[in-house]
Parts: sequence; C-alpha cells; structure tokens
Amino acid sequence: MYTLILLSGGTGTRMHNAVPKQYMLLAGKPVIMHILERVDQIDRIAEVVVVCANEYVSSIELMLNQYGVRKKVMFAPAGDTRQASVKSGLSLVKTDDVVIHEAARPFVKVEDFDRLLDEKERNAIFGTSIPFTVVRGHAQVEGLLTRSELVNVQLPQKFETRLLKEAHEQASKEGVEFTEDAGMVFKYFPETTIAICPGMDYDIKLTTRIDMLAGEQIYDDVFRRRK
Amino acid sequence: MGTCIITGSGSGIGKATAIKLAQCHYFDSYALVGRNDADLQATMDKMVPYGAEVKLFNIDLAYPERIPELVASVNDTMGGIDCLLNIAGYTDPKSLLTTTLDSFDLTYRVNVYAPFMFMRESVKYMRQKGGKILNVASTAGMTPRPGWLSYASSKAALISMSETLTAELSEYGIMVYCVSPGRCATKLRKRLAPDEDPTTIMQPEEVAEVICNLVNPNECCLDGQNIVIRKVMKK
Repeated sequence: MYTLILLSGGTGTRMHNAVPKQYMLLAGKPVIMHILERVDQIDRIAEVVVVCANEYVSSIELMLNQYGVRKKVMFAPAGDTRQASVKSGLSLVKTDDVVIHEAARPFVKVEDFDRLLDEKERNAIFGTSIPFTVVRGHAQVEGLLTRSELVNVQLPQKFETRLLKEAHEQASKEGVEFTEDAGMVFKYFPETTIAICPGMDYDIKLTTRIDMLAGEQIYDDVFRRRK
Repeated sequence: MGTCIITGSGSGIGKATAIKLAQCHYFDSYALVGRNDADLQATMDKMVPYGAEVKLFNIDLAYPERIPELVASVNDTMGGIDCLLNIAGYTDPKSLLTTTLDSFDLTYRVNVYAPFMFMRESVKYMRQKGGKILNVASTAGMTPRPGWLSYASSKAALISMSETLTAELSEYGIMVYCVSPGRCATKLRKRLAPDEDPTTIMQPEEVAEVICNLVNPNECCLDGQNIVIRKVMKK
C-alpha cells in the first residue's frame, strides 16, 4: 500500500493572485480537489498527507466533506522549501511505499497513477523528452547539453519510503537542496534503479496565469467526456 | 440496472414515469419521493407487479434541508444511486404586484432548491461510477408568461442549472438531461390553467415515454440541452 504526499504549500506569487493556484478554480472546481477526487478512487493508495500552510487546513477539510472524499487525509505543515515540505509530509507516512505529487499538477488521470503503481521497480518517476534545445549558461553560453540525454521530470513519483526518508536525512545533514526527489534518491543511492515511465504531455504544472488558461483547454480535452 | 430516485412520484409526470420505468425494467429499485403516503403507495402498487423493488420516502420539498439525510439513506439502503429524476414541481401563479415573498420563496424551494440539493447530494455517491440526472423544467421557463413570474423564472433557473451541470459533471460520467414539457394534464397545470379541458392536451404518460427514452441506458447523445416536449394534437 502507498501513502500519497500531496504538496500544496505554494503561495501563488508567480500567479500574482491573493489565492494560491492550488485553491483557484479550474473547470469550476478547486485545483487541489481534482487530484484528491481521483486518488479517492485508487484503493492502493491507503491514505493521503496534504502538505500545506496551516491556514488552509480547515478549508481543505470542508472541501473534502463537500466532495464526498472518503479516503483518510492527514495534514502536515509546509516547509520553507519544497524539500522541507516533502520531509514534513514523510514524517506522517507509515506505509512502506510513498507517492509524491503536487496539487498544482491536476491533470493526472487515475490510469496514470495506476501505471506508476504497476511499474515493477519500487522507485519510479514519469518523464518526457525535452522538445526544445538547451545549453548551459547564465548571461552567456557556457556549455552544451545533449537533448537526447535529458528527461523532463514529471510528477507523480513513487519511492520506497525508507529510502526516501534516508535520502532526506542525508540531504539535511549536508545542507543540500534538491528541487525534486528522484535526483535526491539517485544522489545518495546511485545503485538503486529509478525507472522512468513514459510521461504525459498534459501533465503540466500550473504556475502562471497562462497555465490556468491553457489548463481549461487541457481539462476539456483530457477529462470532459462529453465531446 | 441499479437505483433510481424519482421526486414527485405521487402524481402526474412523476407517477407516470415511475410506472413506465418499472415496465421497462431499466432499474432494479426505485426510491419514490413525495409528500402524500397514499399517492406514493398507489404508484408503488402499479410498479411492484413488474418486479420493481420500491421504497417510499415521504418528504415535503418545501424543506430541502432534509434532503441530504434522505439521499444518504437511499444510498446506504438501496445499494447506491444510479439515476435521479427531479420531477416534483410547485406553482402559485400570480402577477408581480400580487406575488408575496413567501409564495416566491416556496416556489423556489420546491422547483430550484430541492433539485439543487438532490443533485448535490446524489452526485457525492454517483461520481464514482457515473449515472444520469434528469430535470423536468417547463416551456414556461423559456418564453414570457405574464402572471407566472415565480414559476416561469424557477423553471428558467432549472434549465440553466442543467446546462451548467452537464459540463461540470461530465468528468464523472454523469449525464444531465433537461426536458421542458408544454401543456400537460397534471394537477399543477390545473392551477395554471383552471378552465382548460385536460383531455385536449398532452398526457403525463406521453411525457413519461420521452423521459424513459432519455433514461434508457443506451441513450448517450441528448444530454446538455433543453428538450421541449410538445404534442401534436389530432384535429
């Protein structure tokens, strides 16, 4: 069985909105509820830990009741960084395996979660190829990167809980910050296989206002059954 | 198969629909909702011979706050909810200057708030496996009807709610239908047009026929639009 850690600690600064993006409406429904409703249908996910600012706990609890979500949902306080938020969520995980996802990625289907959980490797992520050319550099080009060797890392991801907790402990001790967890696990457990499942082009992260506009179209195309 | 909730099933279109559905064997069980025990029992008596399992729920839809408990009871005791038919209606035809707030409020409680509550509560259970919702509005909700202010506007609201929820509930595989019957020989019509000969207009059984065609599990293309039901009368 799995526990889902749902990261929902964003403050919405890039959206320039008083309401963080995960609580804005997408297709008439709060963004965070899209994933919570679908995960409610996945029996292999035993419980959910929502990592968020304390001020949103009561409103999320109200929404869970309003939408009839029956899965056990717990809350952990968001940290100052993404890494700290994952570590905060991990402190409540009791299952042997954990799934990490972000509330701001609402376009993951039940079938996508199933595909990740079906992957025979215990540690697995979704990844897509990168459709644009990248180089290394800041104010000037400093080096080349080979596009065919790169992968766009998506969520959700799954990990053996023990492994991920140990990786976070190591990172904390060393004071190293990672922007996602697959890289962290790879850094501290390079002998561990982390499978890459073919990702989804619709699994975008809602970050800017343009993403919300595009998101309405993605929802229509991917989830609305009435064509 | 599954379970179907039918409001207003003690008389008129609701009663005719309940009996027709039992004859068609579209569902295993039916939750008949109304406010008159004898009327509900009479409907049930005509369904049972067709093998339908029927439960009666006496509730006055003027008090929609009681609906969540009713819907939960249907779900818990009848094996889920697969279909919801909001058929109950109320009218108190008056012109603007003679319409009281109480009358307006009661009309909206029965015609708008009750369907809203039935839909909201039922969707909590239906969203896992999909289903169908059908709302009975009226042609009065589409065209000006002087003297029918509260009734006509409440039916316009129901038409709009149906169209909105068609889109909103699509992800769950829940189809939302809306029908707007024209003149139909019901008790409600008698209040709107007391001098009309009911034998000269459409009968509840004819509206029920259309509703059954929409509720038919094979029907998958006519949701999301306000379907007008009018009979071509023979001269």
